Amino acid sequence: MNRKVALVGLALVLPMIVMLALGFRSDPREIESPLLGKPAPDFTLVGLDGRSYTLSELRGKPVFINFWATWCQPCIAEHPGLIRAAEAYRGRVEFLGVIYQDSGSNIASFVAQRGGWGPSLVDEASRVAIRYGVYGAPETFLIDADGVVVEKITGAIGLADLDRKLSGLVHG
Amino acid sequence: MSRAAISTFVLAVAIGFSGPYGAVAATPAELGAGVASAVDVRDAIGEPAGRPLEGEALLESLDEITSLMRCPVCQGLSVADSPVASALAIREEVRSLLVAGYTRDQIFDYFEGAYGEFIRLSPRARGFNLVVWIAPALMVLVGAWLVWARTRRRPAEARAASVDADLEPFRERVRREVGY
Repeated sequence: MNRKVALVGLALVLPMIVMLALGFRSDPREIESPLLGKPAPDFTLVGLDGRSYTLSELRGKPVFINFWATWCQPCIAEHPGLIRAAEAYRGRVEFLGVIYQDSGSNIASFVAQRGGWGPSLVDEASRVAIRYGVYGAPETFLIDADGVVVEKITGAIGLADLDRKLSGLVHG
Repeated sequence: MSRAAISTFVLAVAIGFSGPYGAVAATPAELGAGVASAVDVRDAIGEPAGRPLEGEALLESLDEITSLMRCPVCQGLSVADSPVASALAIREEVRSLLVAGYTRDQIFDYFEGAYGEFIRLSPRARGFNLVVWIAPALMVLVGAWLVWARTRRRPAEARAASVDADLEPFRERVRREVGY
């Protein structure tokens, strides 16, 4: 084979192989949130309990915000763990559930049957979900006591993992 | 059919549609009702820098912007083309921002600030993203050069081959006379 053609071919193929190798190391579905390390976007939502909740008024304590729905299987799977975590961290972490693409009546029925872990906030037109860049349910945002987003968790979270993360938040 | 059965049927349908399809079934007006205070977009993108849009201009801008935005839960569909509730909600948010007077750039900044650059269907032509824009054109140019370089040699090789063919009868005669 002509040496020059071989070298040109190698020069073209090698960068592509390197890019593919780098690309295969990461999961394309894991999209880092641009909110990480930044102040959590403030919002005011009304819960199914009729109370108004403003995020900035909760500053001073870490906040756990979970976007969820009754039609979401991973949400249902993580629900018992969230109930236990909310109980274990009562008074030390604020737990807020934001209803994602679901109705208040569905959520109320679900909580009545299986128990709840925090207020369920009605997000009209998904404005808060959009502001937080929610791709789907469940998505969880951990906010420290200073109001900074420290982590975004996509998908269901297990109790052990959640306990470790919340413990880290509480103890700084 | 008894009234009780009809009532139960209607209630069952209503409950069934109060799930994920509820948001899809809501009209844009219903989606937008009562949302003024949930989130203050000025925290993210400041005051509107353009003029409030309405009518045809609003629809044109809405279609243009949402056709360039990726539906978060779909595979490669734009917000403009996707029928899912998430895309409808984003479309309504874009519409609200246009009505309020936010510009195209401000609107993209808002959504990129929340979703990241992935919300754009086409990556911005800057930084490492330039590879995506430049590499295909570069490959075409390199391929064209290779083809040109090969075809430049061929006429000379062909000439050499034809000269060889022309000399063959003489070589044959020399072999016969020299005797090998």
